[in-house]
Amino acid sequence: MRSAASGKGALAGGRAVYIAMLAPALCLLFLTVVPFLDGVYTSLTNEKLYAGVTRFIGFANYLKLAQNPTFWIALGNTLLYAGLATLIQIPLGLAVALLLDVPSKVQWFFRSTIALPLLIPPVVAGLMWKTMMQPQSGVLNWLLAQVGLPPFSWLSDPQTALVSIVLIDTWLFMPLAAIILLAGLQSISGEVLEAARIDGANAWQTIRHIKLQALKPYIVLVAMFRIPDALKSLEIIYATTRGGPLNATRTLHVMAYEEAYRWSSLGRAMAIVFILWILSYVFSTILLSLWRKEEMRFHGR
Amino acid sequence: MAASRNSRRLVHTALLALGYALLAAFVLFPIYWIFTMSLKEFGDIIAYPPRFTFVPTFANYTEILFGTEADQAGGVMPDLLRFLRNSVIISSGAVLLSIILGLPAAYALARGEARRANRARFTILSFRFAPELAIILPLYAFYTTTGLYDSYVGMILVHQLITLPLIILILMSFIRDIPLEIEEAARIDGAGPLTILLRIIVPIARPGLASAMIIAFIFSWNNLIFGLVLAGGETRPITMGILQAMTFDQIKWGLMAAAAMVSAVPGMIASLLFQRQITRGLTLGAVK
Repeated sequence: MRSAASGKGALAGGRAVYIAMLAPALCLLFLTVVPFLDGVYTSLTNEKLYAGVTRFIGFANYLKLAQNPTFWIALGNTLLYAGLATLIQIPLGLAVALLLDVPSKVQWFFRSTIALPLLIPPVVAGLMWKTMMQPQSGVLNWLLAQVGLPPFSWLSDPQTALVSIVLIDTWLFMPLAAIILLAGLQSISGEVLEAARIDGANAWQTIRHIKLQALKPYIVLVAMFRIPDALKSLEIIYATTRGGPLNATRTLHVMAYEEAYRWSSLGRAMAIVFILWILSYVFSTILLSLWRKEEMRFHGR
Repeated sequence: MAASRNSRRLVHTALLALGYALLAAFVLFPIYWIFTMSLKEFGDIIAYPPRFTFVPTFANYTEILFGTEADQAGGVMPDLLRFLRNSVIISSGAVLLSIILGLPAAYALARGEARRANRARFTILSFRFAPELAIILPLYAFYTTTGLYDSYVGMILVHQLITLPLIILILMSFIRDIPLEIEEAARIDGAGPLTILLRIIVPIARPGLASAMIIAFIFSWNNLIFGLVLAGGETRPITMGILQAMTFDQIKWGLMAAAAMVSAVPGMIASLLFQRQITRGLTLGAVK
């Protein structure tokens, strides 16, 4: 009843106007649905660029993938990458946000420079860090040596390559987490914090019982930004290791790119990409419902 | 009492200082390092131990922007200005088109019935989830047959995938915060939805508009993969231009660093001018 009444009053002109205003944007976005569906069909064929006749082969691409050990490695790498990125960047971003929330003389400087990494294209960030991570001549190993630590192999050792790439990802996107969480911190009313102080809560108790509670929807939001992007991360890896050494950094998106451009197997590439899409969709749907629940709890809408 | 309070304050200050030192080392050092690399001569770059003091040179910048004479003759180093121009055209074109289509859509979503708007919001968000290759690989075939391949129009259209969802989601939340009563008077005077949108909503939502445009611009500017697949020689964006420094036998670190710095300039200018709006836009756009 209420929604009908508010719906009528909200937009002058009613339904027709609503559709007329929304339709052009949705049409433009839905233009991509056709190629997407075409891609899903392609994943059921043996299509190759510049060669042969394309035949419908059903789920053969998917079955072949299931038997391909590299696919399982890539799936594992994709999940490990996204998991590590989220588990590192959310607590770190939270720590930085709490730090930037404390009044101090250098606060303004760090608040205005924290966003700088976001302005560097991921592919460029990858190249930048690659130069710094050179085992023999890179500045990072030199810095380690200055504090008496042994050199690190960074991107050239299969054991450490993926972690090194997550480090680059963290440099690029931790600031995004920090900015969102800082804005969340600032939305907490001063009265609530004052009341806690009068009740004798110490800094740690205030963080745990007030700030973290209020930040919950913002934390889910950061995860919503980061998890799908980390799952489909491609550009940093492309700029640094291109999937090597020994498949250590080959994620599903990198594998799909290689299938398409190295081997021109569009059918196989699309099968991988479609699996990746399902993965993102599942995670995002879970996060979105979580987010809506948190939102309802705090803002009542 | 006083002593313990003093020592507690000392610990507090020391912790803050430590936190800021770690933050500076992690976030700012890489930017500082690449910036100095862009001002170094080749000998200073490859020197080990790394050189923190050196005689700065702008040679890397002049070479990436205008090329050396020998390079131009041999066609070795592509000039960055062309890539820059391409990126400016593609990213601002994408942002403009997204604003024109996204503003009415955001208004309709903000003022429409809540449940249906929620569903539309999820649909729009879901375009952000899709792996880029899922759409651009099939698009490649479509683009080559229709002539959109390697055209500005084609690149602008595909960049909508980045800019349009961001702009709609951010604007929608800003418009939702504007009280309905403000529109009532105009409606009684007989103003239609379009008039209300342009005369009343746009002026009030201006910070939202600015932040939405900047965020969309930066995300579009930073993209590599669309250009890699759908741009040919004519429309290559700046991100591809930088990448080319890598494909030579020997990586030209100085040129790459200079190109990286140049590529970050538009975003830096925009973010310094509109820093507060960006923070607000990022938050509101997604949270509300």
